[in-house]
Amino acid sequence: MTTFRKGRAPLLTPNRRTFLKASGAAIAAGLAVPYVARAQDKVLYINTWGGPWQEAATANLFDPFTAETGVEIRTVSPVSFAKLAQQVQTGVYEFDMTTLGGAELVRANQAGIIEELEAPYEGGLFENGIASHAFATIVAHRTDKYPNGGPQNWADFWDVEKFPGTRSLQRYPARVLPLALIADGVAIEDLYPLDIDRAFASLDRIKEHVLVWWTAGAQSTQILRDGEIDMIGMWHGRYFEAEAAGAPVAMTWNQGEIDRAYWVVAKDSPNRDIAREFIAFATSAKPLAGFVKQADYGPLNPAANEFISEEEAARMPTSPANYPKLFEQDIVNLGADPSEISQRFEEWLAT
Amino acid sequence: MGATIPRLAQRPNLWPWLLLTPLAAYLAIFFVVPLADVAIMSFTHPKLSLANYERVLTGTLYQRVFVNTFVTAGLVTACCLLVGFPLAYLMNNSSRRTAMLILLLVTMSFWTSFLVRTYAWMVLLGNNGPMVALMQSVGIDQPPQMLFTRFASTLAMVHILAPYMIMSIYTVMQKIDPVLVRSAESLGARGWSLFRHVYLPLTAPGIANGCVLVFVICLGFYVTPVLLGSPREQMIAGLIGTQIEEFLAFGMGSAMAMILLAVTLIILAIYHRRFGLDRLWG
Repeated sequence: MTTFRKGRAPLLTPNRRTFLKASGAAIAAGLAVPYVARAQDKVLYINTWGGPWQEAATANLFDPFTAETGVEIRTVSPVSFAKLAQQVQTGVYEFDMTTLGGAELVRANQAGIIEELEAPYEGGLFENGIASHAFATIVAHRTDKYPNGGPQNWADFWDVEKFPGTRSLQRYPARVLPLALIADGVAIEDLYPLDIDRAFASLDRIKEHVLVWWTAGAQSTQILRDGEIDMIGMWHGRYFEAEAAGAPVAMTWNQGEIDRAYWVVAKDSPNRDIAREFIAFATSAKPLAGFVKQADYGPLNPAANEFISEEEAARMPTSPANYPKLFEQDIVNLGADPSEISQRFEEWLAT
Repeated sequence: MGATIPRLAQRPNLWPWLLLTPLAAYLAIFFVVPLADVAIMSFTHPKLSLANYERVLTGTLYQRVFVNTFVTAGLVTACCLLVGFPLAYLMNNSSRRTAMLILLLVTMSFWTSFLVRTYAWMVLLGNNGPMVALMQSVGIDQPPQMLFTRFASTLAMVHILAPYMIMSIYTVMQKIDPVLVRSAESLGARGWSLFRHVYLPLTAPGIANGCVLVFVICLGFYVTPVLLGSPREQMIAGLIGTQIEEFLAFGMGSAMAMILLAVTLIILAIYHRRFGLDRLWG
């Protein structure tokens, strides 16, 4: 065979033997990895959001935990609620733990797909999830479009005469309906259970002006930064990204809507004890402070505030100065079945 | 003796089938079994009934989204044909160099990740993009909103899917014997008549291939319309994803997937009766 090629080795055709060797090694490695990992017994599989979230978690939570306990952490992304449910049913675990938002947490707990947990710090336990960090949906606008001051609350956001221009909101009714009610004049203490009909009537008023119902955080940053829309309801961390990119933008904490993220452990996961240990570590003051600073969240364990400067706290929805301006959602008291709300919302969008 | 010879000749050759076993096993394990699981789930999740199908087939939202999905796929297919046919014709009737250059351009765009292409359209059609700047430079002060409309999503999907159409038509055009066209001309066919009665029927298999491919692939799209289109455009694939990811409604999602699959199979069956499925890949 080799007598064929006397000149230069061909660029694309690999030598058959090296190819066999390489592919054999690759197959062997592929077969060996899961075995080795499981055999070590000290590996924790965590479901993450990937991207900057995972970078911040690796630097502040995963690596320090490994250094302290010797437990190796491997990640699976993106976060998938459906996978969490499926792996409990099938008994095949791709990850031991994940983070969930409030609405998913309540459903997961009702469905019995997460382990029972105990509070690692006071007030940290909710529906068998451990409160970790928070983000807020805030009002942001382009300062080049509104040089004399932009919308400062949801009523302004809804006021298309005072603030003409294009708008964007998240395609997520459980978050958007409360905002529509606040814009319509409902006091925050009277929000829940939600008056769904009134919320949709309120949404009708700005429907024509909402150019984009964004579905991904990165998308919201991009359309604000590039000026595709004039004002937007978006997550505060994503807003800071647009600001850091130098876009002419401004925001307000006023009437910001807080979402909490909770650590949960998959029911009957083989590593549930290590997972509990990890949660205690990840929600303790110092690692949590480091994580929320890097990933632009607010810590839900108040002890973390000790490691956060005043300047850093100004960027967090949970800081003592900002927190009173925002409001929390009452996830268990929504007032209707979330899937029916979503179906009605999608139907409303399509007409 | 006389009886054995015909029997030998008739004995079916098993070798091709034996060679297929690895592939068949692979497909059975990773395709047929999961698909059967989805089919079963559509009837059994959360309990044994036809309720999932009833909800999908009678719910106004689902009906509307199904209609929109098929209208979108039809529109994109028609646009791909309008763009693809002339380009394939050009490739077939120009010098080898030019044909290679066009082919290179088409395949280069084909190999680029479709998310990248979608974002490229966001930049091109955006408020601060070159299209708006171009319009303003020729005196249109208030350029129309292009991004987040059906125009933008259709444009991007046509861009993504046109290579399938171009390649399907081009491969068929290449095989057309030029003698046929010349003899038609010698018999007096000219211009439109030549095209309508000779060239078009000869390229029909390519057109049908391309249309079926583009239409069927387009049925499964949803990221592009969500990112570029208007909020009213919803594709069935996106709705299936929401059902499963957000509501763990595996039964509803499965029922929708089964209906989509059934409709797709019906389209392929019609195609098969008319042209033969084995020609789908040229």
